[in-house]
Amino acid sequence: MTSLGVEGARKHFGGVQALDGVDLEARDGELLVVVGPSGCGKSTLLRCIAGLETLDEGTIRIAGRDVTRERPAARNVSMVFQSYALFPHFTVSENIGFGLVVREVRKSEVVSRVAASAELVGVSHLLARRPAELSGGERQRVALARALVRDPDAFLLDEPLSNLDAGMRTEMRTELRRLHRRVGATMLYVTHDQVEAMTLGDRIAVLDAGKVRQVGEPDDLYRRPNDRFVAEFLGSPRMNFLEPDRAAAFLRVPDGTILGIRPEHVRLDGDADGATTRVELVELAGSDAYVHLDAGLVARVPADERPHEGAEVQLRISAGDAHLFDRATGARLPWT
Amino acid sequence: MRAGERSWGGWRQPAAIAVAVAFLLPFWYLASGSLREPGAPPPRAPELLPRPLSVESYDRAFELVDLGRYTLNSLAVAALTVPPAVLFASWAGFAIFLLTGRARAVLIGLSFAALMVPATALLVPRFAIFRALGLTDTWAPLVAPALLGLSPFYVLLFYWSFRRLPRELFEAARLEGMAPLAAWRRLAMPLVRPVTVAVGLLAFIASWGNFLDPLIYLFDSDLYTLPLGLRSLAVLDRTNYPILLAAAVVSTAPVVLVFAVAQRFFLHEDRGAGWLGR
Amino acid sequence: MDVSERRHVALMLAPYVLGLALLVAIPALVTFGLAFTEYDLVRSPSFIGIDNFSELVRDDVFGIALVNSLVFAVLAVPLRLGAALALALLLHRRYAGIGVYRSAAVLPTVIPDVAYGLLWLWLFNPLYGPINTLLQWRGDGPLLTAWGFQAPQWLTHPNDARAAIIVMSLFTIGEGLVVLLVTRQGLPSELYDLAALEDATVWAIFRRITLPLMAPILLLLLARDTIFSLQATFVPALVVTEGGPPLYSTTYVPLFVYRNAFEYLRYGYAAAATLLMFLLTAAIIYAQWRIVKRWRRAFTV
Repeated sequence: MTSLGVEGARKHFGGVQALDGVDLEARDGELLVVVGPSGCGKSTLLRCIAGLETLDEGTIRIAGRDVTRERPAARNVSMVFQSYALFPHFTVSENIGFGLVVREVRKSEVVSRVAASAELVGVSHLLARRPAELSGGERQRVALARALVRDPDAFLLDEPLSNLDAGMRTEMRTELRRLHRRVGATMLYVTHDQVEAMTLGDRIAVLDAGKVRQVGEPDDLYRRPNDRFVAEFLGSPRMNFLEPDRAAAFLRVPDGTILGIRPEHVRLDGDADGATTRVELVELAGSDAYVHLDAGLVARVPADERPHEGAEVQLRISAGDAHLFDRATGARLPWT
Repeated sequence: MRAGERSWGGWRQPAAIAVAVAFLLPFWYLASGSLREPGAPPPRAPELLPRPLSVESYDRAFELVDLGRYTLNSLAVAALTVPPAVLFASWAGFAIFLLTGRARAVLIGLSFAALMVPATALLVPRFAIFRALGLTDTWAPLVAPALLGLSPFYVLLFYWSFRRLPRELFEAARLEGMAPLAAWRRLAMPLVRPVTVAVGLLAFIASWGNFLDPLIYLFDSDLYTLPLGLRSLAVLDRTNYPILLAAAVVSTAPVVLVFAVAQRFFLHEDRGAGWLGR
Repeated sequence: MDVSERRHVALMLAPYVLGLALLVAIPALVTFGLAFTEYDLVRSPSFIGIDNFSELVRDDVFGIALVNSLVFAVLAVPLRLGAALALALLLHRRYAGIGVYRSAAVLPTVIPDVAYGLLWLWLFNPLYGPINTLLQWRGDGPLLTAWGFQAPQWLTHPNDARAAIIVMSLFTIGEGLVVLLVTRQGLPSELYDLAALEDATVWAIFRRITLPLMAPILLLLLARDTIFSLQATFVPALVVTEGGPPLYSTTYVPLFVYRNAFEYLRYGYAAAATLLMFLLTAAIIYAQWRIVKRWRRAFTV
């Protein structure tokens, strides 16, 4: 069942077409991540769904209702802003309870719901403090609690983790997922970080220049990207791309196409008549090593199998792992 | 040691003292001049304290014109003018902040245009308007400018201050259904307190020192404000400096007092509110 | 914005718009309309087309007043703003006695105009006034300064009188000072902490942090002060020089307007001068705005 749907959304901002015909659906209770590079329109999409901006064309449906013309407060959505937007002169509990107080909920109920929400995110011990006294992670949780305290039809999150340091980010990612499981609400999550997208989303939608490139489960998009953009965007390190003449060393590819191969599929144990190349640089990243090769490829190998810099290695790429993309359109082509 | 302190060296305080002395010395002349006997000619050489010291000039000033009443009148007019002025200026500033594009540009343009209109262009027609309304010889013409916050300058000041607040604060509030008036009262104003106090202070100074409007509109001396009282004294005897200076001191002291107290509240160092959440 | 939000915004704008219309727009339009008439405030105005303007153009006194006002504005505005900024930067931190220093700086603004004028009348006295007394400290002979040249005659020589008016205006910067103090106080302190870490010099901090952040307010004050300098009635000047010394060397346009309107009872003529002043002010402010826009583009790279 669709909980949140956008159809034919178009919006332009002084000369730039921020949204160029976006169709998107979030199912009831799912965490849908909208991911894309900066400027792709993901924040604009979110703000239009929230009602902070109006679409030039298209409709927005939330919980079965057409809310395209409704003002933000009537759409029954909650939003977590990138900068948290905490009121500096309110205490944490006043910040959390803000939406309830504005809607004139009874004071006793406000108190209990604030307590419950604070408990969910783990800030119960901070209720009397002011935002200035909190750390970045704590502020982020307060912003979450504020969004949770109502019972909206959908949650909108605008890059909520981008202001946190790396360690905190990973921790909060897991927390968010746990939270989502517990609350079971529909969440629309916007980010530019593809790692976040892959680990958090039930499904992800890749956006580029105001258009949706592909929607699906993370694994699906990773293994079967529709086009070169999605293939290049997801995955770290990025997919390797080879022109036909260089790809010929491994596989025959037709003209007008580009060969794509993920670093983890570039094997360094080829036989003597395979393509030979020198190792330029080796980056150690915990249990993995990224091997930069003179052939212009990056390979990912287990750390303890890594070669030395300067060593000669034999490359091996199997057809089953490779992707073929049309050079002009970027679309993925089937193997022949 | 705060940033910038080291680079100033220890110069700040001595420089401030020097400036203060430069500003205060002339005022001391006024004050000491007022402590002379009425009718005494101004001293040839500057003297710190007049001999003989006398507060008779103050007594005379209060006798010759009803200075006590005029002081109360000035206070009353200020009390009637300043709070609404601050309110309406902040309302207008906030409304302009909420508007976008065309509407906002038009209002800002109008505000500047209004600033540019010379005061002299307004004297006679305004008088005609108030006379038609039967409001001459009342305080109404003195209080009426509170409608436009006393000056578009203050409106623009509020507008600029609201603009510096993070926009997302107001978006979050709007998402929760907070109405603009409530957002003004509970979000915007608490976060611009120093500006509010500053505008209040400036409005008070303007109202207290307003000479032209009372001169034009008030005929009943019971309604006179302090500047008119000073003028009456000057008309009575232009060269009786001690009395004039006494009245000037009475006129100035309350404002200085108000400022000295208020400046503590809006100028203490504070991590600028509104820069949070980052 | 939906209907109820619009209603709130309209409500908050209502007093301001009403005040502007009733107290500024209508009176201004009336006066500007009267600029094309002959009106002595008693009998009905009679339409005379642009005769007032052609007369103004030939009126020597107006010409002098105009030049005086312009020169005054050109000289006084930068000096006043500079002084206000310098004082604001000097007085924004808290240290012992700061309340006294700030109050002292605001004092000239709140002294009644008449008293302020009297004060300067004494200060500028060529023979006994403290200023010249100080200047003549080590000079040999009457009115000679220690550097050999003659001390200014202040209120009795035309150019010296103009200089005197400018000097007087340098101290009434209380409003600008308050605004700049509040602005400076509201700047984020993290930037200054960063500067301290980078061991930046006072000048660098001023140029790269303080000035750019305060620029919008400075520009607002610039417009305000330009308008004020061109149009202020400047009562203290009246007290001190009464528009003289001959001939009209400290007569500014507002005084010209006042005299024509209320002493010579030629309101139409005065209104024409007012209209011209308004247009001139608008042109100057517009020019300032354009220059600033071009500067901004140069700065933000």
